[in-house]
Amino acid sequence: MSAIYDRVLAFMEADIGTGAAADEAFNALALAVFAHQFEHNQPYRRFAMQRGRTPRGVKSWRNIPAVPINAFKDLTLSCRPAEESARIFMTSGTTKGGIRGQIHHTTLAVYDRSMLLNFRRRFMAEAGAERMAMGILFPTETAMPNSSLAHYLELARAECGTPDSRHWIGEAGIDIAGLYDRLDAAERSGQPFALLGASYGFVHLMDAMARDGRRFALPEGSRILDTGGFKGQSRELEPDEFYGQLAAFFGVPRERCINMYGMTELSTQFYDDGNAVCPSLKSGPHWIRSRVVDPLSGRDVQAGSMGVLVHHDLAHVNSVAAILTEDAGILEEGGFRLLGRVAGAQAKGCSLAVEDFLAAARG
Amino acid sequence: MAFGDDPSVIELAGHLPGLPPDTVERRVLTFGSGAAALRVAVPVLDAEQVERVAATVRAAARGYLKTLPTAHIVAVIDAAIQRLLDREDPWRRKAERLLPVVTGYDPEMVRLGLTGYLKTFRAHELRRFLAEDFANPLVLDEFQPAPKGGFTRAFGPDLLLHVWAGNVPGLPLWSLISGLLVKSGTVGKLPSAEPLFAGWFAQLLAEIDPRLGECLAVVWWKGGDAAAERAWLAQADTVVAYGGNAALAAIRDRVPVTTRFLPYGHKISFALVSRAALDPRRSGETARLAAHDIARYDQQGCYSPQTLFVERGGRLSPQDFAAMLAHELAVQARKHPRRVLSMAEAGEVAGWRDGQAMRGLDGSGHLLLSDPAGGWCVSCIDAPDGLAPTALNRTISVVAVDDLAEVAGRVAPHRAVLQTAGIAAPPEELFRLAGPLGAAGVTRLCALGSMTAPEAGWHHDGRFNLLDLVTVTEIERSAEALAEGLARYAD
Repeated sequence: MSAIYDRVLAFMEADIGTGAAADEAFNALALAVFAHQFEHNQPYRRFAMQRGRTPRGVKSWRNIPAVPINAFKDLTLSCRPAEESARIFMTSGTTKGGIRGQIHHTTLAVYDRSMLLNFRRRFMAEAGAERMAMGILFPTETAMPNSSLAHYLELARAECGTPDSRHWIGEAGIDIAGLYDRLDAAERSGQPFALLGASYGFVHLMDAMARDGRRFALPEGSRILDTGGFKGQSRELEPDEFYGQLAAFFGVPRERCINMYGMTELSTQFYDDGNAVCPSLKSGPHWIRSRVVDPLSGRDVQAGSMGVLVHHDLAHVNSVAAILTEDAGILEEGGFRLLGRVAGAQAKGCSLAVEDFLAAARG
Repeated sequence: MAFGDDPSVIELAGHLPGLPPDTVERRVLTFGSGAAALRVAVPVLDAEQVERVAATVRAAARGYLKTLPTAHIVAVIDAAIQRLLDREDPWRRKAERLLPVVTGYDPEMVRLGLTGYLKTFRAHELRRFLAEDFANPLVLDEFQPAPKGGFTRAFGPDLLLHVWAGNVPGLPLWSLISGLLVKSGTVGKLPSAEPLFAGWFAQLLAEIDPRLGECLAVVWWKGGDAAAERAWLAQADTVVAYGGNAALAAIRDRVPVTTRFLPYGHKISFALVSRAALDPRRSGETARLAAHDIARYDQQGCYSPQTLFVERGGRLSPQDFAAMLAHELAVQARKHPRRVLSMAEAGEVAGWRDGQAMRGLDGSGHLLLSDPAGGWCVSCIDAPDGLAPTALNRTISVVAVDDLAEVAGRVAPHRAVLQTAGIAAPPEELFRLAGPLGAAGVTRLCALGSMTAPEAGWHHDGRFNLLDLVTVTEIERSAEALAEGLARYAD
């Protein structure tokens, strides 16, 4: 592994403080990571040259060219040959005709370190213990080896869960009866319990609970982590309705219902501090920074204006650190608010738009 | 005139004969922002008011419009068009002032577009319109001898309902005027994206001929409002509807089976540039014409090109042409800036552009030329691509082909959505290409540079716009012969 990995790992462990010194430290490492990726990631090098941005000219991390997430569907954006990848995570393929983007990791060491440092700080800190009892509402990593979320949740369970923590989704779907028993037991034990999983998984579970007339009042200190939204896998709920229902069905107050915002195209996640108010403020650790840009010019929008989120994740060493998302957001002191996806523009006139064209082509 | 929060400054949309203005509930749509914002109050009618307006229009059409000779209707429409062509006329001034606010298009582009468009409805052009569909336009006025014997007369529907869509200024005039020419009582539903022009035109007609003004109404309901839509669809004898396939399918499902339904779906258009147009003497003009078609109404029209097929083997290569086109689009961007895009639209343009940029990274010689600020974008493709929609808003694919004859085959899979092909090619080639393109589903071939300005009397989407509206009543020869025998002077 090259020196840049060690620098990134050291940076993640360090306390870089705040203010100008922290800015300078982030910037210096961002430029080093850019130089590394420019040198070793050929498609990214061409992309950066096409934009006239090279390590020689770029002095601020804000000018490092951000790759649109769609690019992962067409290009292998990796600093090492694809056959050396220890793991390939794939996007869910909900857009662009089901084509899935591929994200190559030569090693998962940085990803795992990034995940754990951050997860302990943002989800486990208040628990007051190194480990807590967990139930995972998602298939296992063995069942979904290309899912970054499966890997994330497995790390959470293995590194932060008590030994009896386990997954509750198998080939036959959610083990509803087993989970009811587990939640009953958690209720009786008085020990905090954590439920973690995809947002749509919670919707399916709550639909079953409504059908069965079940409710739980999990002990004080219990927490919920949801992520990923609904992706057409379940009913779509407004955030307020979703967190209101979580609180009602599990007895976990909304301020302890944490939403994780992550992307397969990154190695670091964002969290909020609960969802008493929606949309919540999301933030990440010191090795990831976000910008809000005008999608057309790529320039930062005025402070407080809505734009498209760009995330600059120093932990994403093997691929590309700067990612242009399709998520709309607004920067605020201490983080950003997510305002949904930037998509679905309808033609204003009578000109055929892409969606209709594809529909017509399908017949 | 300043617009803002002053509630008195509000534009009333629509035209509602038979209803006292103060009884109509209105809903306010806001366009633009800040000091330039414009508020438009569109009418929201209840079921009883729908019946009242429909009855008024129907009765007025029977009692007046249907008794007028077509020539008189042509004269009234012409008078209204002449007013709108006069830049000093208050209606014209209002249109020039407000339509750019409502649609977001560059004011000068709107002004030029309006004049070019309105000219196609002057009296002599309307006569062309009639002659295109009726060998003998008098067939609309009285029974005319038919070549097979007997007599024929054409009748428009008593109540023709137009469901308009889109933000291209003035577009509803096409079908509105078609309906009047065949003497239909007319009700039009304003598009929410441009809810003014059709109502103004109706009011102007009423100003010129108050009785004619009773024969048409311009109304509004929220797109997809099933109850309002049903109420109107139940009144109509014929329905002309514009929109995306999903919207049209929803309307079709609500149209009574005995009502004639004429849908106009969204379409895609493209252009062909022959190598003959790519010599140094002509190529500049060719690029200028193409840029005009792309920039006009920011490609929102069904006739706007989304792909240019450019022939290899000319003095200039397709890549050279793409570079010239990029230059011309930059000129257009200065002269007629693109309207301000919503976040979703900007995201779509950026996504398309970035996707095209990615194609260049595999070393295939793909060329991408774009405005750093994102105002336009040309993607030059060397691969054998077919027709594909771009992100509109001045984004265009230039696809290199060895021979323009290949194009018909490449567009043929999209027959159902094809409309205009703009062509820059010598005469033999024009006619050589026209047959296969027509067979592939293209309904309009025009000069590059004229794609957004269909000529008077064009057949929209290949249909007979007047003929489709009428029914003919025939007096057969037998009736005539029998009548002869019953005449008081029969021998």
